[in-house]
Amino acid sequence: MVYDRTELSRRRFLSNFAFASAAVAVGPGSWVIRPDWANAAEGSIKLGIATDLTGPIGYAGNADANVARMVVKQINDAGGLLGRPIELLIEDTASNESVAVGNVRKLIQRDKVDMVLGGITSSMRNAIKDVIVARGKTLYIYPQLYEGKECTPYLFCTGPTPAQQCDEFIPWLIKNGGKRFALPSANYVWPHTLNVYARKVIEANGGEVIFEEYYPLDQIDFSSTVNRIISNKVDVVFNTVIPPGVGPFFKQLYEAGFLKNGGRLACVYYDENTLGINQANEIEGLASCLDYFKALTPDDPVSAKIQAEYDKQFPGTFLFAAGSAATGTYRGLKLWEAAVKEAGKVERDAVAAALDHAKITEGPGGPAEMVPGQRHCKMKMYTAVAKNGSYEIVARSAGLVDPKEC
Amino acid sequence: MDNLFIALFEILSFGAIVVLVVLGLGIIASMMGIFNFAQGEFVLLGAYVTYVAHRIGLPVAVGMVAAPFAVGALGFVLERLVVRRFYAAPIVAMLGTYALGLIIRESVRGLIGGLYISIPEPIGGSLNLGTLHFSMWRFVIVVITALVMAGSYVLLARTSFGLRIRASLENPALARASGISTDRIYSVTFAFGAALAGLAGALIVPVFSLFADLGIRFLIQGFVAVMVGGVGSFAGPVAGAGVIGTLSAALPWVMSPVVADVLVFVLAITFIKFRPQGLVSGRGI
Repeated sequence: MVYDRTELSRRRFLSNFAFASAAVAVGPGSWVIRPDWANAAEGSIKLGIATDLTGPIGYAGNADANVARMVVKQINDAGGLLGRPIELLIEDTASNESVAVGNVRKLIQRDKVDMVLGGITSSMRNAIKDVIVARGKTLYIYPQLYEGKECTPYLFCTGPTPAQQCDEFIPWLIKNGGKRFALPSANYVWPHTLNVYARKVIEANGGEVIFEEYYPLDQIDFSSTVNRIISNKVDVVFNTVIPPGVGPFFKQLYEAGFLKNGGRLACVYYDENTLGINQANEIEGLASCLDYFKALTPDDPVSAKIQAEYDKQFPGTFLFAAGSAATGTYRGLKLWEAAVKEAGKVERDAVAAALDHAKITEGPGGPAEMVPGQRHCKMKMYTAVAKNGSYEIVARSAGLVDPKEC
Repeated sequence: MDNLFIALFEILSFGAIVVLVVLGLGIIASMMGIFNFAQGEFVLLGAYVTYVAHRIGLPVAVGMVAAPFAVGALGFVLERLVVRRFYAAPIVAMLGTYALGLIIRESVRGLIGGLYISIPEPIGGSLNLGTLHFSMWRFVIVVITALVMAGSYVLLARTSFGLRIRASLENPALARASGISTDRIYSVTFAFGAALAGLAGALIVPVFSLFADLGIRFLIQGFVAVMVGGVGSFAGPVAGAGVIGTLSAALPWVMSPVVADVLVFVLAITFIKFRPQGLVSGRGI
C-alpha cells in the first residue's frame, strides 16, 4: 500500500488536466517592453518582433531582438514616432515553425501589433507570413539574406538577395581564385535557389561549374566531396553547406591541402559569428560578400556609431553581424520608421505605400532604399576576406546594388 | 589508386569515430538493458569539458584526459540519483534519460551562446605521403579507438571485475547471493559507459567543432548500430557501429549523399527484419 499516494485518481487527473489546459490557454506572456509614457493620449504604436530566441539559431535571433531594443529605445528617447511611444513586443519563434505560428498568432490576435519584423530561415518566413500578412492583415518585414523570389504583397525584405550577393562577388572570385567552381550545398531551398543564380553568373563571366552537389543538413563527414574537389582541381569552392557541417567540411578541405594549392573558399553567409567555427588558418582567405562587416567601422563613422552603441548596450556573445540578420533588422526598422513618418499614421496600406519607396541615409554599411514596386532593398555590398581570424575589406560596390527581385 | 587509399583511410577514420561514440552506448545497453538517450549529451559534455579546459588556458590534451573522468563522475551521480529508479521499466528509462539529455543539451547551448566553437587538435596538420594528405588527428582517433576497444574487451573479458559485471548482468539474483553488490556494479558500469562517451566527445570535438547538437547527430546512428549489432554482448554494438560508420562514410563516394543518408537506414531496417537478433546474438562478451 506504499504506492497508494502516487496512484492517479480520476479526481487528481481532472484537476491536473484542468490546470494544464488553463496554462496552455493562457500561455506565457510575450516579452513586452513598455516605455514609461506608454499611456500617452493616443496610445502606443505596437511593434512585434518574432525571432528565434531559443533553439539552434538562437544566437542570431537574440542579436536581432537586441537590435530592435536598441532602435526602439533610440526612437522613444527622441520623442517617439508621430509623437507616440513605441511598445516593443518580442515573441520567440524557437527555431521551430509549429511553435512559431502559435506565438506569432498571439502577436497578431492578442496584442494587435501594427507591424511584425522577424523570421530568420526561409522556412520560418514561409510558415509565419500567412499568419501575419493574409489572415493577420498586418505588415511584415523579413530581415535576413535569402534566396529571393518572395513577392507577397505587404511583405518587405531588407536583407541581401542572390543578385546582390553574386553580381559583383563572382567576377571578383574568378579574378582572385579561378574559373573552376564547385558548389557544395546543404539540401534545402536557399542553396538550391541561390545556386541557380550563381551558376548563371559564373557561366556569364567565363567560369565553369565542375559540380553542384547537395548534402543532408546534418551531414558532418565530407571526405568524398573533398576528394572530388581536390582531384578535379577546383579553384573556387562556393559553399552553401551550413553549420554543423561547414566546420568539418572546411577543416577536411584544409587538411587535404586545398588552401595550400591555392584554392579559394567562398561563402556568402559568412560573418563575424561564423569565423569562430574553424581555426583561423583553416579558413585563411575565405571570401564573403555581405551588406556589412565590422571591418568597415574604421572608415565609416555611421557604421562605427551603430556598432559601438550595440556593443555598449549588449556586450556578450550575440554579435551585431550581417549573417544573423542584425543589419537587416536595423535597416528594416529604420525604413519602417521613415515610412510611418511619411504616412503620418500606422494603418497598413498607408505605411506600405510609403515603405514602397522609403529611404534611409544612415545605416550599417551605408544608406539603403526600397526599390519601388519590388518590396526589396537597394544597399551597398562589400567583399571581405578572412585574414588571421578577422575580415579585411577587399572590394566595395560603387553605389547601391539592385536586388533584382519581383 | 591514390583515391582508393584516401577513400579507405577516410572511411576507416569515420568508422572509428562512430565505434568510439557507440562503445559506451553499447556497453550500457548490453550490460544493463536500458537504452540511454542521454548518451549523445555525455558525448557533448566530454566535448564541453575539453573546451572549458582550453578556454581557461590549459592544453587541449589535458582537457581530453579530464573529460572521461568528469563525465564518468557525472554519470555515476546521475545513475545514483535518477537512472536506477528506471531499471524495472525500460520504456520509462528511455524517456527519463531523454529528459536528462535535454537538460544537459540546453544548458550547454546556453553556456556557449548557441554558437559553433572551434577547438584546436593537440596534434594537428596532415600526414603527407607523396601527393596524399591524411589528417593527422583522424589517424590519432583511429589508434585511440583501437586501444580503447582492446582495453574495454580486456576489462570485461579478462578481469575479475569484468566477470562480476557479466555475472550481475546474466543473473542478478545469483550474483547478489554470491556477495556481489549489483547496485554498485550497475553504478560503475553506467559511469564507465558515460566516461567512454566523454572520451569520444573530447576526441571528436576538434574534428566537428563544439555545438549543442553535437550529440544528437550521433545518437540515432548509435541506436541503429546497436540494433544492427545486437544487444546483449560487447562485440555486437561494436560490430554494428563498424558497419554503420563504414556504410555512412563509404556510400557518398559512389552515390548522391542525400540518397546515401537514407539508404544506410533502409539497409539497416532490412537487415534487422531478416536477422532481428543482430550480427552477434547471445549474451556475454
